[in-house]
Amino acid sequence: MIEIHDLTFTYSGSGSPALENINLRVAGGEFVGISGPAGAGKTTLALCINGVIPHFMDGSFHGTVIVDGYDTASAGCKELACSVGSVFQDPESQIVFSTVEEEIAFGLENLNIPRKEMVSRIDESLKMVGISHLKRCSTSHLSGGQKQRVAIASAIALKPKVLILDEPTSELDPQGSMEVFKTLENLNSNHNITVVVIEQKIQLLSEFCQRLVIMDKGKIMMDGPVKSILSNREVLNFLGIDSFPVAKLMHLIRDKGLYDGEFPVNIDEAFDIISYILKPKILH
Amino acid sequence: MSAFVEYIPGNSIFHRLNPITKILWTFSVMIVCFLTENPLAVLSVFIVNLVIAATGNIIRQMYPILRGLLVFCTILSLCQVFFIKEGTVVLYALPWFRLGPVTDRGIRLCVLISLRMLSTASTVPILLMTTPMSDIITAMTEKLRLPYKYSLMLTIALKFIPSFIDEMNQVMQAQMSRGYNSDTKNPFRKFLIIIPLAIPLLITSIQKSRLLAISMEVRGFGSGKRSCYKDCSMGNADYIAIIIMASFVLAGIAAALIT
Repeated sequence: MIEIHDLTFTYSGSGSPALENINLRVAGGEFVGISGPAGAGKTTLALCINGVIPHFMDGSFHGTVIVDGYDTASAGCKELACSVGSVFQDPESQIVFSTVEEEIAFGLENLNIPRKEMVSRIDESLKMVGISHLKRCSTSHLSGGQKQRVAIASAIALKPKVLILDEPTSELDPQGSMEVFKTLENLNSNHNITVVVIEQKIQLLSEFCQRLVIMDKGKIMMDGPVKSILSNREVLNFLGIDSFPVAKLMHLIRDKGLYDGEFPVNIDEAFDIISYILKPKILH
Repeated sequence: MSAFVEYIPGNSIFHRLNPITKILWTFSVMIVCFLTENPLAVLSVFIVNLVIAATGNIIRQMYPILRGLLVFCTILSLCQVFFIKEGTVVLYALPWFRLGPVTDRGIRLCVLISLRMLSTASTVPILLMTTPMSDIITAMTEKLRLPYKYSLMLTIALKFIPSFIDEMNQVMQAQMSRGYNSDTKNPFRKFLIIIPLAIPLLITSIQKSRLLAISMEVRGFGSGKRSCYKDCSMGNADYIAIIIMASFVLAGIAAALIT
């Protein structure tokens, strides 16, 4: 679905490249999390995938980015809008209109979709993100989580194959963050949309993603299944990514040599492992 | 932000009329009021306005506006009334010295001017309170062929005013918490004080608009011909309303020609 070959990008006026020799393949239907310290080039990578780079930003662009069969450098604005949906960090400044339905209609209007189809697509995308009841609400009165779901709905109304989100929960409270990720999970598993999400909250990624990509200084440092990445504590510490309590606890248990099996990524899995370790002791 | 004229959701007949019809209504009220010299006719136009406001359930919100208009009309009348010498003198402002004569023609004219003012000026808030701004803009793009870019610009500007004000308050509080004194009566100093507040505001709004532009581009803005989601076709009620308004305007013109 997404194929990136030897991508190097330098913003004009900047001495060092923001992205250096990036190679990444994301298959259709994957749920990929991207994380890494500030300035790692995560946002730049997102902008390369949705075609904002090189279309609307100056800089030197080398390599190829192919999304859904389109080369982003040569594809038109319309093809890109239909194949990649984007959601950004600040829910406030990506919403243009004053009501939810108008906001979702905006992208459809741009693509010259007839009114009849527009109405059904709006209802459908609202239903997919679970905010049908907000259709006629004013966008300024929504909570942060609801705003982000409106942004997601307006992206998926264009029926993209890929959804890319740049830190969608950074300005949300834990409840709003959960709302957003549950929505993404639903879109990914029930509607077969490939999801790439940039996120600092490792805990959320570990719970929802299958694959984790860790970036630093414009390069991809690690790429693999969530479990194998989280079990590598040295690399995570080096990158300054604070692993969450479950991982910390498991690392301590491993250090003591109490357990050496598969790495847990959520409380339930950790609970099973801990009760497995404790069981023989309780029996004795 | 508490805007002084804001859309108040409702489902009255007037709410449901096409924005174009309502704009035509404001113009026809203006024409009729200025064609006729009869205060009673103008008064009846004003009463119709009030009835429209009442059916639209916005009379409470209209009250402060009407009160303001009334104060303004009173001041205007007091300024005007002493300068009209025609007609018979009915009373004096200072009866002991027979100073400040007020004639019957003067009173009649002042009442007429006040009523005209009330009727024409009350239409605009009624229009804005019963029609969402976005509908007015859509109708203007669709029916009056305003280019979409301009109407979008207007929409964005209107949408960003409240967030701009929030931002301004935030900057102001941040500066104040660091001991910045922004409290002064002197208008010139006030202007100087605004500068350290305006610069961060300018920077954040440029950043915001950049992000907004990107989020519009990725949704295919500017990719060619566009369609329109909002249905702004005229209904039967619109045609009936237009016919009624047109007949009143024509009657007004006829009456003016006869006298």
